[in-house]
Amino acid sequence: MTVPLLVVDDSSFARKQVIRALPKGWDVEVSQASNGEQALELIKAGKGDVVLLDLTMPVMDGFAVLEEIKARDLPAVVIVISGDIQPEAEARVMKLGALAFIKKPLDSEQLHQVLSDFGILSV
Amino acid sequence: MSTDVLDEELRDCFQELSNVAVGRAADLLARLLNNFVIMPIPVVNLLERAELSMALSAIADASSVSAVCQGFTGSKIAGEALLIFNDASFQDMAELTQFKGEITEQIELELLMDIANILIGACLKGLAEQIDVSFSQGQPYLLGQHINIEELLNRNGSTWQRLLTIELPYKLEGREVNCDLLLLFTEDSLAILRNKMSYLLE
Amino acid sequence: MNTDYTGLAEFHWLIEVMQTVDVGVLVLDLEYQITAWNGFMENNSGIDSADALGRSLFDVFDDLSVEWFKHKADTVIQLRNRAFTTWEQRAYVFKFRNNRPITGVTEYMYQNCTFIPVIGTTGKVQNLAVIVYDVTDIATSKLELKAANDRLAQLSRTDGLTQLYNRAYWEEMLSNEFKRQKRHAHDLSLIMFDIDHFKKVNDTYGHQVGDDVIRAVAEEVRHNSRNTDIAGRYGGEEFALLLIDSDAENALLFAERLRKAIENRRVSTPEGELQVTVSLGVAPWKESFHHYNAWIEAADKALYTSKDEGRNRSTLSK
Repeated sequence: MTVPLLVVDDSSFARKQVIRALPKGWDVEVSQASNGEQALELIKAGKGDVVLLDLTMPVMDGFAVLEEIKARDLPAVVIVISGDIQPEAEARVMKLGALAFIKKPLDSEQLHQVLSDFGILSV
Repeated sequence: MSTDVLDEELRDCFQELSNVAVGRAADLLARLLNNFVIMPIPVVNLLERAELSMALSAIADASSVSAVCQGFTGSKIAGEALLIFNDASFQDMAELTQFKGEITEQIELELLMDIANILIGACLKGLAEQIDVSFSQGQPYLLGQHINIEELLNRNGSTWQRLLTIELPYKLEGREVNCDLLLLFTEDSLAILRNKMSYLLE
Repeated sequence: MNTDYTGLAEFHWLIEVMQTVDVGVLVLDLEYQITAWNGFMENNSGIDSADALGRSLFDVFDDLSVEWFKHKADTVIQLRNRAFTTWEQRAYVFKFRNNRPITGVTEYMYQNCTFIPVIGTTGKVQNLAVIVYDVTDIATSKLELKAANDRLAQLSRTDGLTQLYNRAYWEEMLSNEFKRQKRHAHDLSLIMFDIDHFKKVNDTYGHQVGDDVIRAVAEEVRHNSRNTDIAGRYGGEEFALLLIDSDAENALLFAERLRKAIENRRVSTPEGELQVTVSLGVAPWKESFHHYNAWIEAADKALYTSKDEGRNRSTLSK
């Protein structure tokens, strides 16, 4: 089954890097958002069962997106890919229900590992 | 290749590289101060000479800020980092570094240099590693103390017309600490940076 | 064999360069014991490397602040990030005498230092290198320049005859206080005063005596005012005083004290002793002043009232 995957980052360069790092042959339908508000719209529209989320963004940041997903109980599995690498940032997103925290610059092997560890690849 | 404009793709790429570099600096600062750092969103621009003069004059006018400048160079990329620190931040900074006693001018300088060392050092290192170069840093200068900013602008004999600037406004959560880090790259560096980026952009 | 020899030769000249380079190179282990100490350090400290190596840095430099140094060093080691110190922040880290009989103008060497984390083969920081730059020449010339500029600035705001502030600078101070007052009002009063019949003094005794009189009045102003008060020579024989933290009552008391002091003062002239009096106008700060000029006008008006009512008196503005 094709997985609706949403890549959220204010930088299109960063989004490209993330998309390029996805496992080959993984059956996904990729959507993109450049801020939190767009991301929530797309999640509500069923475009983001799996979300790869940046934290530092204008308009609405990644922390706020996680809060909304939690508060509205939206059906999205979130992996944070962040340039903010403070331990406190990681602790906060994990508390807000993120599945995993990956530091930028993105290492594709680490992303694959996380995706397979949580059984997302086999969905 | 024209250096007159910063196309959107390149600007975006700079911004993302800066974002990662800034994240490292924020992490170090947070560890030093034991306080969460609100990550700034980097602002990347081409700045005209006159605009820089205006920005620096604004610093000179505000008696309530301190500034540190530090040059860097490596792999034909060169520039200067400028840290502008709001003096109102010293009280909170002193508390965070567990400093007890009266905040003299001497202590303010120590705090300023501590912050400058971390933010400038870590940002430059973070940027350099991503584009696979390494920078050497010159000695830092305190602006305004023994160097008059206006004099500096007047005697600046260089002929550059525009600079690539990356602006990073840092804040500490729950604290009155405000500082802006500006990374300025010379016009000559721009072509080299463009080159380094092009292979990141494929 | 050949490569070994080349390696050795290279090592030899590297050491030779480090030994002779004109900056200090000091390497410490994580217990602050000295593991490298180059010629610059030897020559300036007077301590041979044989005596320095293996010893604690704090034993070798017993006046080095342990707390300060450790704070810098720990930050560098833990964060794996370079740190710089400048002479402006701390004149020197290592106390080296500046022993130049001719060109030496300071007692100690001014220094900039760079702290560098040295990463070992294990990928961990194993040593701390400190590079010491002698910046005595730069520091002293900057300090001299600053002293000269300060002196110039002081000259440009002082009235030569009285050593009080000159009019331009006094007005600048008034303007600043006025702005502060608009944000945050305190008790603040302005006094304008001038010397009665000064023209007659000049005409009768000459300008020399006129100057002596002005100087004598300025001296009384200095004796009677506090450090915080802002006193200036406003014009020829006119003076202006800004009294910090003084309400109308206090300002009037002050004006009267000053008036009496000047009345009691005698200025000696070739024709005997001379007595002068002054007329004063006192204007406490009012919310309704929109510009500091209005404040000066109010004090001036009170001053004219003093003149009209017979001079040698103080008047409070209405």
